[in-house]
Amino acid sequence: MKVGIPKGLLYCKYHPFLVTFFGELGAEVIVSEDTNKNIFDAGIKYCVDDACLPVKIFHGHVNFLKDKCDLVVIPRIMQLWKNEYICPKFCGLPEMVLNNLNGLPPAITDPIYATSWKNLYSWAQKSGNLLGKNNRQIKVAFNKAIEAQKNHKTGIDDEGYEIKIALTGHPYNIYDKFLNMNLVKKINNLGMGIRTAEFTQEDILAREADNLYKRPFWTFVRENYGFALNSAKEKKVDGIIYVSSFNCGTDSVIIELIKNGLPDFPFLILKIDEHTGEAGINTRIEAFRDMLERRLFNESHISTLG
Amino acid sequence: MYYLGVDLGSVSTDLALVDKNHNLVEKIYLKTRGNPIKAIQEGFKILKDKYDEREITAAGTTGSGRMIASAIMGADAVKNEITAHARAALEFDKEVRTIIEIGGQDSKIIIINKGIVTDFAMNTVCAAGTGSFLDRQAERLEIPIEEFGDYALRAGSTVRIAGRCAVFAESDMIHKQQLGYAKEEIIRGLCDALVRNYLNNVGKGKTILPKVLFQGGVAANKGMKAAFEKELGFEIFVPENYSMMGAIGAAIIAGDQVKKTGKTKFRGFKLAENNIFSRSFDCDGCPNRCEVVKIYENDNILGYFGDRCSRWTGKTNEILGLRSG
Repeated sequence: MKVGIPKGLLYCKYHPFLVTFFGELGAEVIVSEDTNKNIFDAGIKYCVDDACLPVKIFHGHVNFLKDKCDLVVIPRIMQLWKNEYICPKFCGLPEMVLNNLNGLPPAITDPIYATSWKNLYSWAQKSGNLLGKNNRQIKVAFNKAIEAQKNHKTGIDDEGYEIKIALTGHPYNIYDKFLNMNLVKKINNLGMGIRTAEFTQEDILAREADNLYKRPFWTFVRENYGFALNSAKEKKVDGIIYVSSFNCGTDSVIIELIKNGLPDFPFLILKIDEHTGEAGINTRIEAFRDMLERRLFNESHISTLG
Repeated sequence: MYYLGVDLGSVSTDLALVDKNHNLVEKIYLKTRGNPIKAIQEGFKILKDKYDEREITAAGTTGSGRMIASAIMGADAVKNEITAHARAALEFDKEVRTIIEIGGQDSKIIIINKGIVTDFAMNTVCAAGTGSFLDRQAERLEIPIEEFGDYALRAGSTVRIAGRCAVFAESDMIHKQQLGYAKEEIIRGLCDALVRNYLNNVGKGKTILPKVLFQGGVAANKGMKAAFEKELGFEIFVPENYSMMGAIGAAIIAGDQVKKTGKTKFRGFKLAENNIFSRSFDCDGCPNRCEVVKIYENDNILGYFGDRCSRWTGKTNEILGLRSG
C-alpha cells in the first residue's frame, strides 16, 4: 500500500515520526516534493480564499499526492500539550482539504492528541488498523517512530556572525524556503546569524508565558512569545524577526504580546502572502540589518549593499 | 565633483546630484511608467547635456528597482529606502525624530533618536493608502494629482471614508459621490482616511515625536499634510526636496563609500544611448521554475534577476563585483 504524506505545515517538525511509522508498518511512503511553483499554484487554486498561505500550500501538497498513493495522511493535530491547542485551522484541516479537492484517495483524518505517548498511540492504532495491521505490529512501528522523532533535531543556532537575530514564527513559515522566499539564506547573506525556538528549553518557554495575565490558549503563542522574550532578556540575540503569514489569527495575538513585552527591543514583522516579488521583503530585512548595525556599533559606517 | 543618487521607485524615478558638502545641485523627477530602464536612460540624457561624466565621483541607487539600476549604471552603494531616507533627512535637519514617508507603493515610518534609526515600520503586504492609490482616485475624479491637495483644503467639512483598504475606500467614495457630496469634501475625507489608516497601521505602537518630516511623493499633497497635523496636533515639515530624499540619501551614502574605496564603479552616461533591454525566461534548473530576467546592454549581458537560488543572480554579483546576496 502506498501512503502519501504531504510536505506541508508541521511536516517540517514531525516527519521522522510520520515517515518511520508508516514505513515500519510496511507501507510504501510517498512524500510530496518540496514546495515549488506547481504545488504553490495548485494550493492557491483549490483552497478557499480566506485561508492562510501555509494552509493553501498544504492543499497543493495533497493535490500533488492524490494520484500517487492509496491513502493520504492529513494530520489533524489538536493538541501537543495539555490545556492548549495548536491553531483552529489544524482542527478543521481535513474537512477543508476533502471538500476543496476532488478525486482524493481515502484519508487518515483522526484527531491527534499528542499530550502523552498514550494519547498519541490511540491515533497510531486507528491509523494502523486502517492499513490492516494488528496491535503488535502497530506497537513496534509506533516505538520506532517515537525513537526516530526523539533522535531528530531541528532548529538553527548560527555562530560566527557579528549580529544575531531570533527568527520566530510558525515552523512551516520559517522552514519552507519557497513560501518565505529563502528567508534563512537571505538573512545569513546579509551577515546576520539566526537562532530559532528549538534551542530554548520547553520549561524556559513555559516560564516566560507564565508571566502573562492568562495562560495562552494556543501552543504557538506560548512557544513564540516565550522564545522571543527569553532571547531578548538573556541577550542571546540583537533583534527579532517574526515571519508571519497574512491573515494569521494566532500571530495577531503573539505579535502584540511580544511588542508589549519588549517595547524597546528591535522587532521586525515580515508578512508573507502569495507575493513572489522579493523587493519588499529585501528592503525590510536590509533596513533592519542597517538599524541593528548602527545601534550596536554606533558608527557612521553604512554597509554599501542592501 | 558630484555624487549621483538614483531612486528607482514604483511610480517615479528620481535622480539627484549633490556636491561634496552634500548640497543638492541637480534634481530630475521622472515617471517610471512601468519601464525602469527607460526612465534611467531618460534621466541620463538630461544629465549628459549638462555635466561631464568625469565629474561624477560616486553613484548610489535606492528604491525597489535599486538592483536593476545598479546593474545598468554601476553603483558604489545599493541601499534600501529606509536607510537612504533617514540619511538624507538627518542631513537636512539634525533635530528630526520621526520621518513619515509615503511613496508609490510603500509607506514607512522611521523613528530616530540621537541621529540613529532606532525603529521603523512599513506597510504590510498590502499597498492601500499609498501614492498609486491617490493617483488612481485623482484620475477617476479627473483632477490633476498636483491639485488634489488644494481640493482637500478648500473643503468646508469632511466626509467619512472607510480607510482600512483601498478597495473599500473606493467603494465608499463612490457611494458618497452618488449621494451628492462635493468632490472637495470627499477628497478631504479620503486624506483623513489615509492618515487614520497610516497611524493605525504603519504607525501602530510608535510614539511620534516632533520634529516630524514628511517625505516621498505624497508629501506634495497639502491635504495629507493638513490631515496629519490635525491628527497629531502639531506642525509637520515637508522638506523642500521631499520627493528627492531617497536619491539624495543614496548619493551621500555612495560618496561615503568612495571615500573608503577611492574609486567609483559608475560607468558613465553612455548608457543613455546604448540599447538596453531585458528578456525573461523560466529557469528549468528545478521545479521552482523561477522567472528570471536577463538584462542586456547591446550584446553584453549586464545581469540576471529573479531566481531564488543563486544560479543566475550569482553571475550578476560576479559581473557587478558585489558580494553574494
